[in-house]
Amino acid sequence: MNYLTRRLIHGIMLLIGASILCFLFADFAPGSFFDEIKLNPQISPETVAALRSRYGLDQPMPVRYVRWAKSVFRGEWGYSFAYNAPVRSLLAVRAGNTLLLTGVATFLAWLIAVPWGIWIAAHPGRGIDRLSMGSTSVLLSVPELVLALGLLYLVVRTHALPVGGMVSLRFDQLGRWSKIRDLATHLVIPVTTLVLANLPIILRHVRSSMMEVLKAPFIQAARGHGISKASLLFHYALPAAANPLISLFGFSMGGLLSGSLLVEVVTGWPGLGPLLLEATMSRDLYVVVGVVMSSTLFMILGNLLADAMLLAADPRVRMQ
Amino acid sequence: MAAEQATKRAARPALVRVHALSKRYVQRRIFSRDKFVVDALKNVDVEIPPDCLTALVGESGSGKSTLASCLAMLETPDSGEIWFEGREISRAAACELESLRPKIQMVFQDSSGALNPRFSAAQIIAEPLEIQRRVSGRKLRQRTCELMEEVGLSADWADRSAHEFSGGQRQRLAIARALALRPTLLILDESLSGLDLVTQAQILNLLAEIRIAHSLTCLLISHDLSLVGQVADHIAVMHKGTIIERDTRQQVFESPRHAHTRELLAATRTIASAFRAERPGSE
Amino acid sequence: MKTGKMMTSKTMTNKAKTRAAAMVLVLLHGIIVFGGFIAPGEPASQNRDFPFVPPTRLHFVDAQGHFHLRPFVYQSVSRPEGLYEYEESRDQEYPIHLFVEGPKYKIAGLFLSSIHLFGVEAPAQIFLAGSDNYGRDQFSRILYGGRISLGAGLLATGISLSLGLLLGTISGFYGRWVDESVMRIAELFLVLPWLYLLLAVRAFLPLHISPVQTFFLLIAVIGSVGWARPARLVRGVVLSARTRKYVLASRGFGASDSYVLRRHVLPHTYGVLLTQAALLVPQYVIAEVTLSFLGLGLSEPLPSWGNLLANLQQYNVLVSYWWMFAPAMALVVFSLGYLALADAFHKRLQSVTV
Repeated sequence: MNYLTRRLIHGIMLLIGASILCFLFADFAPGSFFDEIKLNPQISPETVAALRSRYGLDQPMPVRYVRWAKSVFRGEWGYSFAYNAPVRSLLAVRAGNTLLLTGVATFLAWLIAVPWGIWIAAHPGRGIDRLSMGSTSVLLSVPELVLALGLLYLVVRTHALPVGGMVSLRFDQLGRWSKIRDLATHLVIPVTTLVLANLPIILRHVRSSMMEVLKAPFIQAARGHGISKASLLFHYALPAAANPLISLFGFSMGGLLSGSLLVEVVTGWPGLGPLLLEATMSRDLYVVVGVVMSSTLFMILGNLLADAMLLAADPRVRMQ
Repeated sequence: MAAEQATKRAARPALVRVHALSKRYVQRRIFSRDKFVVDALKNVDVEIPPDCLTALVGESGSGKSTLASCLAMLETPDSGEIWFEGREISRAAACELESLRPKIQMVFQDSSGALNPRFSAAQIIAEPLEIQRRVSGRKLRQRTCELMEEVGLSADWADRSAHEFSGGQRQRLAIARALALRPTLLILDESLSGLDLVTQAQILNLLAEIRIAHSLTCLLISHDLSLVGQVADHIAVMHKGTIIERDTRQQVFESPRHAHTRELLAATRTIASAFRAERPGSE
Repeated sequence: MKTGKMMTSKTMTNKAKTRAAAMVLVLLHGIIVFGGFIAPGEPASQNRDFPFVPPTRLHFVDAQGHFHLRPFVYQSVSRPEGLYEYEESRDQEYPIHLFVEGPKYKIAGLFLSSIHLFGVEAPAQIFLAGSDNYGRDQFSRILYGGRISLGAGLLATGISLSLGLLLGTISGFYGRWVDESVMRIAELFLVLPWLYLLLAVRAFLPLHISPVQTFFLLIAVIGSVGWARPARLVRGVVLSARTRKYVLASRGFGASDSYVLRRHVLPHTYGVLLTQAALLVPQYVIAEVTLSFLGLGLSEPLPSWGNLLANLQQYNVLVSYWWMFAPAMALVVFSLGYLALADAFHKRLQSVTV
């Protein structure tokens, strides 16, 4: 079996494990959607019982799990009690929005962090290095929630950008370019928050792994041969320092998604976050499971992407 | 004279008799059918005569340490028997082990972390006494100091931690620890490797002293035939999991029977002097 | 020789850093523990006539230009023309007194007392961090809220580390299928984004329960979600410690599993546990803050940093009353302290293992 196939199977196993874990949690939980409905005097207990049996909630856990798995294969991902619709119809749009947000944020964070990190690794102890390390250590201790609120405050006070949601109300009437610009301006706050929250970690990792490599004898030798500095840093040192950074890319997906959840809720971005919050409040079981599964899927896809990059970057992995 | 004495001693029944001992290590990975099989011991037969210093010599990976671990009851062999003082010990029950363990003690190679770096010298030596609940309190301290003096370490150093001692001193600590339980059989696993010549000689002298003082039987494990050749009464040579040769030192050195022994001997004779004179001290 | 010297000087500065971070943290926690003494008021006492009063300014120079050594405040009075707008009435100075009588509280939650560190005479009030929509003193609420938020963070860390230590030790020490299965489950917990997991677990628990129940439920949820990383790290340490020769030697003396664990294996995990603790506490405080902010944690009138920040979800509060960000400052200061400590612990751990 080749490396990527193995990783793919591993990822699928993790997904299955995550879904079982979700159902186990749900099974331990004392309440359900219909317990909240029971509090409503207008709905008779018989109706509640009928609804429960219709959604299969009176069945034991393994049976419910199998039913859910079948509906996943049908492409429904279970049924939302609150929306009265298959979960996938709710998920698809929201997941796309979250993916857009986290994708742009990841791209920008790495785009900024890699050259910056390489630069300060090449000049350790200088003013710019100290300034970067100091400011990132402060930034590291500012939670995403505070960052998002702070940015929102600034923007609201200055009226510089639109606030809330993903697009303006008159989005449908706009031309193509205006549409893109509208979306981009709405992206600024959530993306900036996520970039600011993730930049310090990436920057520090780039710096430390580059510094490690720059100490290596082969770099000293190359330096002795008189290679230009840019070539030394980008063609010699960076590929050698890439491995831990690629693994970090896989790891950082989890933090990014969690951060994204918060940012979405605070800035009103219609992604998975607000949906999960809503479903949590109304105990919409299958929506919760669906959102958790989508986030896990993103996480695993991120890791697979990292594995593929590792395969491309490191010949040793291919030998396995 | 010495050789004659050795043969006389060897005439008494052996302290340890190993018969057809086998041990195989299998390492398998989950979700995969391939596994690694290593036959560490293959039908090993060996005897250790009492009150002698027997040397077990072989290249790394020849199964010396596995045999030592089996003798010290740290590993259970797959098949075969180990007879010690007339009892079969390789499959002893837990309650039997308690009384057996103190009699067979092992001194590990220092460089592999034989001493817990967090312990002081006194704690290191006191450990076996604590575990076996031999003595406690003031007496424990007293006994610890006695043992330190016995192996040539000042009792004033009792509260220093292990990493403050030199390589040779750490080896002494390890020996003191093993002596604490007054064993009958002392197994020294590569105890001299990694030490410089002078220290090796000092440790060997110490070993000679304590052997007499405690009437100990010793099994010295080493990859260095020339080194053990200076002190051992008997030599057993191991190769690829089996004992290929076992005899008195004189016999082994003068008329080795197995081709591999001859190779080992040739190697020591040709390069020994030049190489060892230049080997830097490791301390 | 030279490198050795450099090493010691480096570890010395690291030691100093550790000490400094630890001292700052002790001080900060002291402030929270003795919050009742430091807070001028009660966290729940409302003052409906004074909602959203900006932080009271401390003055040294009075209207006549005289300098006072003892700082004083003016009374805040609402401006007649605007809603929630205040100005200082400069008629009378109210000097700040130390050790004044005030509302009753318990020192460190143990002894009843009514002496407060500072205060001003009525009718003047001192709102160091402004007041909220019910006219409650934010400064007092931050101090009392710190007890809840930090308490939750510390207890949840305790749960995570205990679980991690237990499972990691079992996994690393006994190996084989136990190890395999525990580590697979740990991987599952690691692959799920933590906030999604946290919300999902919260989703399956009852919503309407008493505040005390909520508090402990919250701690249990946060603590049990984060066991995987400490468990993995502990397992690694145990695994490497277990195969050391001194453990084998100890076995040779007839040592039992519990002796080997107690004397040889577990002491090696303390470094990892300390580092993890310093990392997890701020993370879990933030987790509590997040859940309470989202309305899934503790609810009013209990002050917790998350509840206090939740005020900012209202647009007008966010826009108009900047001092409602004050709890965030407390959060950031504590996080900074803990992260500095974690950094120092981590460096020490590396210098020990290398």
